[in-house]
Amino acid sequence: MKKLLFIIFFGVSCFWSLSSEDTKAFQSTYKPANSSDIFIENARILTGTGKEILRGSILISSNKIKAIGENLPKPLGILVIDANGKWVTPGIIDIHSHMGVYPAPGLRSSSDGNESTSPITAHVWAEHSVWTQDPQMPLALKGGITTFHVLPGSANLIGGRGVTLKNIWSRTVQGMKFPGAPYTLKMACGENPKRVYGGRKSEPSTRMGNVAGYRKAWIRAQGYRNKLAEYESKSEEAKELEYAPTRDLELETLVGVLNGEILIQNHCYRGEEMAVMLDIAEEFNYKVTTFHHAIEAYKVADILADNGVCAAMWADWWGFKHEAFDMVWENAAIVDQANAGNGCAIIHSDSSVGIQRLNQEAAKAMAAGNRAGFSISPSRAIQWITSNPAKALGIADKAGSLEVGKMADVVIWDGNPFSVYTKTEKVFVDGVLLYDKDNPLTPKATDFELGIITSEGDRL
Amino acid sequence: MNQNKKILFTLLSLFVSTFCLTEELLLKNAKIHTASDRGTLENADILIRDGIIVRIGKNLVSSRAVERDLSGKVISPGLIAPQTQLGIVEIELVPETRDDRSDIYSAGLSIDSAFNPSSTLIPYNLTGGITLSLTTPSSSGLFSGLTSVFSLSGSLENSLVNSNIALSANISGGEDSMAAKVQLLRDSLSLSALIGSKKYLEIHRESFLPDGVNYSTRDLLSLKRVVDKEIPLVVTANRASDILTLIDFAKTNNINLIINGAEEGWRVSKQLSEARVPVILQPIDNIPNSFNELGSRLDNASLLHNSGVKILIGSHETHNAYLSRQGAGIAVSYGLPWEEALKGLTKNIAEVFKINKRGSIQPGYIADIVIWNGDPLEVTSFVEEVYLSGKSIPTRNRSMRLKERYMTR
Repeated sequence: MKKLLFIIFFGVSCFWSLSSEDTKAFQSTYKPANSSDIFIENARILTGTGKEILRGSILISSNKIKAIGENLPKPLGILVIDANGKWVTPGIIDIHSHMGVYPAPGLRSSSDGNESTSPITAHVWAEHSVWTQDPQMPLALKGGITTFHVLPGSANLIGGRGVTLKNIWSRTVQGMKFPGAPYTLKMACGENPKRVYGGRKSEPSTRMGNVAGYRKAWIRAQGYRNKLAEYESKSEEAKELEYAPTRDLELETLVGVLNGEILIQNHCYRGEEMAVMLDIAEEFNYKVTTFHHAIEAYKVADILADNGVCAAMWADWWGFKHEAFDMVWENAAIVDQANAGNGCAIIHSDSSVGIQRLNQEAAKAMAAGNRAGFSISPSRAIQWITSNPAKALGIADKAGSLEVGKMADVVIWDGNPFSVYTKTEKVFVDGVLLYDKDNPLTPKATDFELGIITSEGDRL
Repeated sequence: MNQNKKILFTLLSLFVSTFCLTEELLLKNAKIHTASDRGTLENADILIRDGIIVRIGKNLVSSRAVERDLSGKVISPGLIAPQTQLGIVEIELVPETRDDRSDIYSAGLSIDSAFNPSSTLIPYNLTGGITLSLTTPSSSGLFSGLTSVFSLSGSLENSLVNSNIALSANISGGEDSMAAKVQLLRDSLSLSALIGSKKYLEIHRESFLPDGVNYSTRDLLSLKRVVDKEIPLVVTANRASDILTLIDFAKTNNINLIINGAEEGWRVSKQLSEARVPVILQPIDNIPNSFNELGSRLDNASLLHNSGVKILIGSHETHNAYLSRQGAGIAVSYGLPWEEALKGLTKNIAEVFKINKRGSIQPGYIADIVIWNGDPLEVTSFVEEVYLSGKSIPTRNRSMRLKERYMTR
């Protein structure tokens, strides 16, 4: 038995070391400035854990949440922010963004989000396309976005690795990378891949072609994993007599998924396609973390809940293509309430306009659900844009809720965030105040914005 | 029929129409946003007779009216969608469902015959509060075609309200210089002014327009309506300097100009105001999407309004044309007065495009009215009921049917 355990352990650690070989490059260099100690008091707090504190306080210290609750003792000699009449939420997380890879202005020269030259491009990484000076990022910060997940586009069946970034000004993408966030892999169902490649008279041109394409890729990944395992199982003497298998960038990423290290973020609109994708995941023994766009998630909400899969949705986008025709306003609410409230609903943007007000998008989806007869509170709906995306990105132990020990990503709103009239007043990332409505020098302008309209001024 | 009988018959029919066929509706105790000079009235009533608003005030009575108590409800005029493709697009990426583009006609394209009152987008946007659409083709050339006004009643026979009331043009995009497009705009209008004259035939023979530019007589007749100031020219432009060029162009050529987009309008708000050029804004968009809109910002609507520019508010996308109200709410949070935001969605659009007796709640106006459960600009509010010409229209749509199917499982 011990031997068996050892073999399993050895095997797992082998896969770990092999599949993680690539991760030595491009590691996060993000280090927040030392935050001063801050005490926010008298706030109405949505914690992101499903709770609401009607009048509470938060103590931020050394970039982390040090205390949260009612009747916290006010420490002496530190900065106190009176949030009377204000609401406080965790920093908003957008699980579907193309900021940096489809920056503004939208020029061909920096539209770097889709390597649409082959249906399987698991070897490309979105972070290698990110333009850190995209002026959309500070706009999103003003909307309360403290973390966002950048994906490759959906032209391909397997589009490449996504990356989770902190929404901070940085000269390098490594300086934005969320420390310890797992990599993700973008897959795409439906119309986009078959349109892009079918239009070129190549495979896939149909949905069945799509499915064959995913399966063929996973079969190759299994073969690569076996080859790596076989080499690793050899004795040291035998290893000296032959070269290690040549690294394969594409298959390394796929093996990372099979080993549970890389999370699948799957663009998928239709209910039946989501069900097929779940069967593929079972066939190859990996997990789908989130279906993105998921216009028809409400049709399979129970299946998603049974499988522990999140759906990332818009509040109301529809009709731009046929697979987006069956939109319902209650989509997020139905997903959320599936299996007695055990569903995982996420509101995402996929848009530089929408990312600035995910709170309003969540508000619309919540109101639609309540109108249909559900009873969804703001403390529940805030999870759609905070803790649920954190969970689906594998960072819920670090961000997405206001709990002791978590990153101090905190937003102070000038009122109820579920209103069109409400704006952010202060946005903290790791306890550092990066947007303050009373300080016109925040958010820090990107390089692009300096002197772009008048040589003396910033863009706005 | 002798004279006496004729008089008797006339009197009789008058009697019948006054006392028997007249339909009266009295909406009581609502908060009424009139989008007129009267602003917002608390706990007020509206009397509607035969689809026309007769009176607005407190404690109205009528012995003949059907009464509805709307305590706690909010009433606004039906919202008007400027510059959408409602009724001429079903699914953007399915070309065979699109009637909004033409390579054959440009300025002369009138989309009236293609308008589909049964499009799924129509009840959907009606449910969102839109009652009237300024449906506009979106061809990509210099001129995209003519705008017509449609009711969202869904009626197969009576949806058209006003035909061909404006001409749309684009001067940005593509690889040709903006200067060339403005020149072509000028030359096209000049040519159209001559149509029908002897000179027109001579000039045409000498190739007045550059190679590759061909206008049919129908296209030129549309342009002539702009030259004759029968209809306005709606030009999509965002860059401050381009807006000034267009203001100057409109002055020189003596045409009525409306700017669509105007993302950098705040930089030239004084000039827009002086030239009395109205703007159609999508206030939700503050992204510097191109080098022509680097100055895009969320308080554009507010800054323009403060300078006296007339603001019309629209939405980017046809499918959710009704989300213009969210954009209006955002403009309010950045300083635009609430009443002005509502006018931007209603009255200002009707005024600028000369759509008679619509866009506000006042006596003599057509009773296109929306009943809300709360503030019409708030994202958590919903439409409860829509009246078109005083008749309650069922606010159901395909999306609701789908929800009902899957929620009852």
